[in-house]
Amino acid sequence: MVTQAAGQLVNHAASVTDRATLQLTLVLFITVVVVTLFTVLLTAPQRDEISEFYLGDRDMSPLRNGLAMCGDYLSAATLLGSTGIVALTGYDGLLYLGGTVVAWMMALLMIAEPLRNSGKFTLGDTLASRLPQGQRSVRLALALCTLAVCLLYLVAQLVGSIALLAQFIGAPSGTARAMCVVVIGTIVVVYAAIGGMPGATVIQVVKAVMLVAGVGITAVMVLHHFSWNIDRLLSSAADNSALGERYLGPGLRYGGSTTNKLDFFSLQLAIVLGLAALPHIMMRLLAPRTTRVLRGSVVWAVGLIGFVCLMAGVLGLGATAIVGREQIADVDPRGDAAVLLLGYELGGGVLVALLSSLAFITLLGVAGGLTLAAASSIAHDLYGAVIRKGKATETEEVAVARLSAAAIGVMGMLLALLSWGTSTATLAFLAFAIAASAILPTIVYSLFWQGFTARGALLSLYGGLACSVLLVVFSPIVSATSTSLYPNADFAWFPLQNPGIVSIPAGFLLGWLGSVLSKRQAPEVFEEFEVRALVGADER
Amino acid sequence: MSLYPPPNESYYPLFPPGPEPTSPESIRNSPEFRSMRGAHRSFGTAATLVSVGGFLTYVLLSGFAAGLMNQPLAGHLTIGLALGLCQFLLMAVTIWLYVRHMRRRVDPVAQRLRAQLHDSRARAEAQAQAQQGRASAERRFGTW
Repeated sequence: MVTQAAGQLVNHAASVTDRATLQLTLVLFITVVVVTLFTVLLTAPQRDEISEFYLGDRDMSPLRNGLAMCGDYLSAATLLGSTGIVALTGYDGLLYLGGTVVAWMMALLMIAEPLRNSGKFTLGDTLASRLPQGQRSVRLALALCTLAVCLLYLVAQLVGSIALLAQFIGAPSGTARAMCVVVIGTIVVVYAAIGGMPGATVIQVVKAVMLVAGVGITAVMVLHHFSWNIDRLLSSAADNSALGERYLGPGLRYGGSTTNKLDFFSLQLAIVLGLAALPHIMMRLLAPRTTRVLRGSVVWAVGLIGFVCLMAGVLGLGATAIVGREQIADVDPRGDAAVLLLGYELGGGVLVALLSSLAFITLLGVAGGLTLAAASSIAHDLYGAVIRKGKATETEEVAVARLSAAAIGVMGMLLALLSWGTSTATLAFLAFAIAASAILPTIVYSLFWQGFTARGALLSLYGGLACSVLLVVFSPIVSATSTSLYPNADFAWFPLQNPGIVSIPAGFLLGWLGSVLSKRQAPEVFEEFEVRALVGADER
Repeated sequence: MSLYPPPNESYYPLFPPGPEPTSPESIRNSPEFRSMRGAHRSFGTAATLVSVGGFLTYVLLSGFAAGLMNQPLAGHLTIGLALGLCQFLLMAVTIWLYVRHMRRRVDPVAQRLRAQLHDSRARAEAQAQAQQGRASAERRFGTW
């Protein structure tokens, strides 16, 4: 039956299912979008207050906050991409899922509470109160890094939506691609520009509940299929992968040469350190009104994300065990179709429709959070503090935030259409690397090191950004191999695809160097900052 | 409280500061704050190193000691897969310990210090208001 269904799928021009499923998917997707859009309109900020637009409802319970964090964090890449990697490469894919959860440990244990206590609306406010001399140039640098990370990740989400569409209709024509990106992009802009943070929270919570439920139920179906025997699941996965025991051991994706292994380590480093420094996650950390609520929220978030990632592992193994590795690779060599094929085997077209509308909503949620984070950074740091030097009124600032949300959305759409062939993973991994090597050193130093100065911040922000981008430009991703952007040129002297292993230490080193080389700033500033960060002097 | 408060603390250099620390600087120098900062940092750093470092070691082991990770434990469960599951357990335990540690060692002190800061700030504001009130009162009389 498996081969028959797979053969049928391949006959449908490499699409996952038939037309009825696509229609059901669209109906489900549109229903959720319409319902959430109305909720967003109802909960949208009524007055043009920046605290409401940037931080939303600050009295939410830890569970709702945790759901919103989980929604901001888990993208369609986790639902489709990671499960696909597990299905194709077994052990290495599971390792990748583990990194996604571990990334929250650094955020919870070191950064979340002092950051919330000392922060105000954006990350730029924290840096400005820590480095009052030269705060404008630091804000500018931070806004640029935020913009780079957000745009890369946003483009990854929009390109992902094209890839998802391709699962249904085969290779999409230019018009279909443009339609898909424009529709998704427009909805995202409406969420971010009209709804602000309250609107984004609505969609995040809805999405997180749907994601946890959807992934959980499908995983239960997989486990039930193997009568709750994990060993049987593992053995069928190993048998149907046509690789035998090698499937359950390391090295399928990142094995072989030392370069490959280092590349994987570099990627894990960027994920584990970078995810906690992604701007849209940072904004979520600033929102709760008390430290205690924040701690509870992050614990909920880690729990939910851990659950989803464990279940995603089960889904990936189940896809190989039930559908077979070859069939998954036939439909999509990157494995993005694994969950949908599994859904078809377990629950027919209905489950496929549910899962794919879930994937679209997930895309939408993450893209909305990213657009909002970038818009806040532009409006508050760039416009409010750098251009207007703090003289802008709240109404003005909110208007700028709405406009820049639209501008970023349009920019993301154009970039996505231009670069639709690139792998979403490459874009997302570059965003992680920039976050880990530019934003994270600055945050860690400003929270914990007295000697940190504005010059150190500038060096680590610009240096980390430049280092990660340049290393990727000179990596095999851009030139020298048959899969790169310019396969005919060869200027790839950096052997790894992920720059993290070099650029993260470089970011920390540059921050230290800049601080040591510049004049020390007055100690009172750090003393007051530290008291605020630890005591939480004002429960904002 | 005197009717005319000193403009700043260095006004009467002979009087040592009171037993209750109130300003941010005095709070930062108080032993309570220092021990709390130590408790917060040492636990945070250690726990981060254990959970993040543990995971990165696991990644390195998987890459460079594949033979060891492939040793079967029970059925198809290899050492590598078991260690992966242990990462989740390790995280759960770390989070539980962290929450307990913060609740016992850090939160009470932070709350006390916060209350002190709040008090001193409220007092300073009241003084400033009183001064302002006086000034405006003088101005009012002046116009008459």
